[in-house]
Amino acid sequence: MKVPSHLKGSGVDFNMTPMIDVVFLLIIFFLVSSHLAKQEVHMNLPLPDARSGIQAGNSKLPRVVVNISSEGALRMAGRQLTLDQFQQQLLERRRKSGKDLEVRIRSDRGVPYRNISPIMQRCAEAGIWNVTFAVYRTGEGS
Amino acid sequence: MRRRSPFARRDSLEIKMTPMIDVVFLLLIFFVWTASFQVVEYLLPSELSTLLGNQAAVDVPPPEADFEDVVVRIHWIGDHPGWTVNDQQADSLEQLYQQLQAIARIKLDAPVILHPDQEVPLGDVINVFDISRLIGFEKIQFVAGDVL
Repeated sequence: MKVPSHLKGSGVDFNMTPMIDVVFLLIIFFLVSSHLAKQEVHMNLPLPDARSGIQAGNSKLPRVVVNISSEGALRMAGRQLTLDQFQQQLLERRRKSGKDLEVRIRSDRGVPYRNISPIMQRCAEAGIWNVTFAVYRTGEGS
Repeated sequence: MRRRSPFARRDSLEIKMTPMIDVVFLLLIFFVWTASFQVVEYLLPSELSTLLGNQAAVDVPPPEADFEDVVVRIHWIGDHPGWTVNDQQADSLEQLYQQLQAIARIKLDAPVILHPDQEVPLGDVINVFDISRLIGFEKIQFVAGDVL
């Protein structure tokens, strides 16, 4: 029987290109989705402007981020909390993390001070001294 | 006559565009997606310990103005803020800056106490906080509590 000439020597050879393509696509998909998941941690808020803000380093200190929306609603880890619930959570975190706990207040710039000051008071009552305000560098914010 | 080598196929120099385009597209998508379009956030650190560091200190009433402390009151008049530094009125943020700077020249380590009205938006409170930090005051404290 005559074997077609183009089949000679190509029996085990298989094409790597599509496999590499697919693997790359998967890698990129997982990289992108993890990146988006990180972005979702930050609620989109018009933060106050300041010129003396310092760069937020990648400190390993335990941190609690409190988001305050324009309506004055307090959100922590995606959940809306009352002041009493916030205090309980704070005390719990303080117990677990010790005195190095940082509370970062991310608040809408239009929120009246009456919504901020009880939060600061609760922090002081819980013995947390490290309270920071998230701001945009003047001119960079939306 | 020279025989042609079996490896020197006619199409060996042909550049295959498809895989190259694949890779270029993949790289393009990767860099577009990973580029961060978010505005970078900065931090204004404030230490609560000096004024409200423990339970006992929390109940202390807001400090009165005296020669030691620099009390900056931030009022809310209609739709704009107003400021007083130890009962001296400032008509603009610029004037407030000058007043605080004059105090800083005499006593930079004087504690600055920010006492905003309840209605004052946080943006205006942060403006005064920012000014105090820019001038170089070492202790900047907030009057905080449920009822101011």
